[in-house]
Amino acid sequence: MMYVEEALAVLFGNKLRSLLTIVGLIIGVAAVIAIQVLGRGMAGAIDGLLGGMSDNSFVIFPNPQQRDVNAAAIKLVDLQTIRDEVPGIVDAVPVAGINDLVRNGHHEGRYRISPESAIPFNTLPVLYGRHIDQSDIDAAANVTVLQHDAYVRLFPEGGDPTGRSVYAGPNRFLVIGVLQAPKQGFLNVNFAGEVAIPWTTYVSRYLRGNTLFAARFVVADPSTIETTETAVIKQLRVMRDKPDLQYQSFDKSQLTGGINGVFNAMTLIVALIGAVSLLVAGIGIMNIMLVSVAERTREIGVRKAIGARRSQVLLQFFIEAALLCGIGCAIGWAIGLALGTAVDRFAIVKLAGTVPPLPLIETIVIAGAFAAVVTLAFGTYPAFRAASLDPIEALRYE
Amino acid sequence: MNESAPAIDLRDIHKTYENGPLKVPVLHGLTFTIERGEYVAIMGPSGSGKSTLMNIIGCLDRPTSGTYVLDGVDVSRLDDNALAELRLRKLGFVFQGFNLLARTDALKNVALPLFYAGVPAKRRMQRAQLALEEVGIGDRGHHQPSQLSGGQQQRVAIARALINDPAVLLADEPTGNLDSHTSDDIMALFRRLHAGGRTIVMVTHDPNVARNAQRVIQLLDGLVVSDDIRQPAGHDL
Repeated sequence: MMYVEEALAVLFGNKLRSLLTIVGLIIGVAAVIAIQVLGRGMAGAIDGLLGGMSDNSFVIFPNPQQRDVNAAAIKLVDLQTIRDEVPGIVDAVPVAGINDLVRNGHHEGRYRISPESAIPFNTLPVLYGRHIDQSDIDAAANVTVLQHDAYVRLFPEGGDPTGRSVYAGPNRFLVIGVLQAPKQGFLNVNFAGEVAIPWTTYVSRYLRGNTLFAARFVVADPSTIETTETAVIKQLRVMRDKPDLQYQSFDKSQLTGGINGVFNAMTLIVALIGAVSLLVAGIGIMNIMLVSVAERTREIGVRKAIGARRSQVLLQFFIEAALLCGIGCAIGWAIGLALGTAVDRFAIVKLAGTVPPLPLIETIVIAGAFAAVVTLAFGTYPAFRAASLDPIEALRYE
Repeated sequence: MNESAPAIDLRDIHKTYENGPLKVPVLHGLTFTIERGEYVAIMGPSGSGKSTLMNIIGCLDRPTSGTYVLDGVDVSRLDDNALAELRLRKLGFVFQGFNLLARTDALKNVALPLFYAGVPAKRRMQRAQLALEEVGIGDRGHHQPSQLSGGQQQRVAIARALINDPAVLLADEPTGNLDSHTSDDIMALFRRLHAGGRTIVMVTHDPNVARNAQRVIQLLDGLVVSDDIRQPAGHDL
C-alpha cells in the first residue's frame, strides 16, 4: 500500500526525530507490559507457594486470646452437628497433626502424620496409586498417602511403593499412593502433613480426648465459602449458647487475597504512571506531527493541486501517526516483555520454583490498544489539519 | 468529454477577497473562451489578477460570481471533493518551482495522480514510464529529484501533469526557475505538446516566453486589456 510506503519513507528519512518522538511511548508501554508479565508471574508464585491447597475448603479454629478458650474449643462431635445443621457443607474433618518417626526398614524420618478426607486438603495429583477415598474413611483403614519428599526419603530406591508398608511407632500403614512433588521454591509452605491417613484412622489412633485443634469444612461451591464460614461460626456459638465466642478462619482466597491486594495496588500505580507517560508521549507525537504538517505544507498543496481529496491527505497523515505509534508500541511491548521475563527468571522462579507462561496475547492486545488510542487521540488532529489546508495558501508557503 | 464544448469558458468572472470588513476586488468581470487545442499565454504585471485567474481556472478557487465551464462541466458551484476530482481528471499543473516530492523517484512522482485516481500499482508504473519517455527522460525514472537538473525536474513535473491525459495543461511561470537555454528546451517541449493537440494555458510575465503561445491575453487591474491571436514564434518547428 502506497500510503504505508510513503509514511515509512518519511519516518525513516527522519530516523532520529522519529525515534525521539516515540521514546515516551516506548517507556510507557514497556512499563505497562512489564507489570502485566510480572502480575502473571506473581499469580504463578502464589499458586506455587500454596501448592495444591484445596480452594473449596476452609479452616476454623478458636481464637486463643479469649477468656472462655475452653468453651470455644471445637469438639469432634461438633463436626457431625455442623455437617447436619449448616447448609452447603459437604464434609467436615479434624485438622490436626502429630510428628512421629516413620520407618520403612532402615530408612526413616520424622514426619507429620495428619488426617485427610476423601475430598483432600492437599489436591496435588498422585504420582503413584490413588488418593484416600470414602471407603478408607468408612473403614478407618490403616492406609497412607505419602507426600513426595517423604516418599523419596523412605523409598530411596524409587519405583512404585504402593502395596508396601511404613511404620509409625507400633502403627503399620499400607502405602496406597504418592503425591507428585509440589512446585515450590525456597518458601516451602506445607499445609498438610507429609504422611496423610484417613481422618477416622487418625481419630482412633492419635486423637487424645475429644478436643480438636481446628476443623476443616468442605463446600461444593468455592464462592459460598465466606457465607458458610459465618454460618459455621454462628452454629458453634448457638451450640455453646455463648454468642461472644471468637473464632478465626482461613481459606485459600484469604491467603491469596492479601498478596493480590498489595500487588493490585502496585499495578494501579504503574498503570497510572503508564497512563501519564502515554499522555505525555501522545502530546509529543501530536507536536511532531504538527511540525511535520507545517514543514510539508507545500507538499500538501501540490498533492491537493494534482487532485488528492481531503480524505486522501487525511489518510496519509493518519497512517503516518499510526505507524509511529504502532512502531513505538511494538518496541515498548518487546522491551516490557523482556524486562518482565527477566524479573520472572531471576526473582519469581526463586519464590515459586517455576516461571508461568508469558501472557503473549494479553500483552499484544494491550500494546495494540495503546497504539490505537494514542493514534486516535493525538494523530487525528494533525491529519485533519493537513487535510484542511487551503491548496492555494499551501502552494504559496515557503 | 463534450466534443463541441470549448476547453475553458469564462463568463463575467468576478473575484473579491474579503479580509474582515475589507473587500478587495481582484477580478472585475472576465469573459473569454479557450478552445480545445489552443496554446494561450496569460500576461500581466503583478497585481493584475493573473494568479487569481489561474487559481480559478485551476479549480483551486471559486469565483465570487460568474460561470466557469471547464471541458463542458460547470465548476462554479462544485464542492471541494468535486473540485479535487476535476483537478485530478481534467487539469495538469506545472509550477515554477517544479514541486516534486523529495525522496521520491521520478517514476513515483509522475505516477502520483494515478494513485489518487485509484489505478493499480503496476499499471501506474507502466503509464508513468511512458509519460517520462514522452517528455524525453525515459531513462531517469529511478532518479530522485535532487539527482536531476532543473530542466529534467520540470520535465518530470510536465510528465506528472500529463499522466491523466488532462483537458488543459496549466503552467504557472514554467520557465521562471530555469536558465535561458533550458527554458528554450521546455518551450520547445510545450510547442511539441501543442502540436500534438494539447490545450495549454500558461501564466508568465516574460514576453519572450509568451511569444511561444498562439494567443496572448493581457490582464490589467482585473480586466482583459488585450487578446491577440497570432502566429507564435517558431511554430513552424
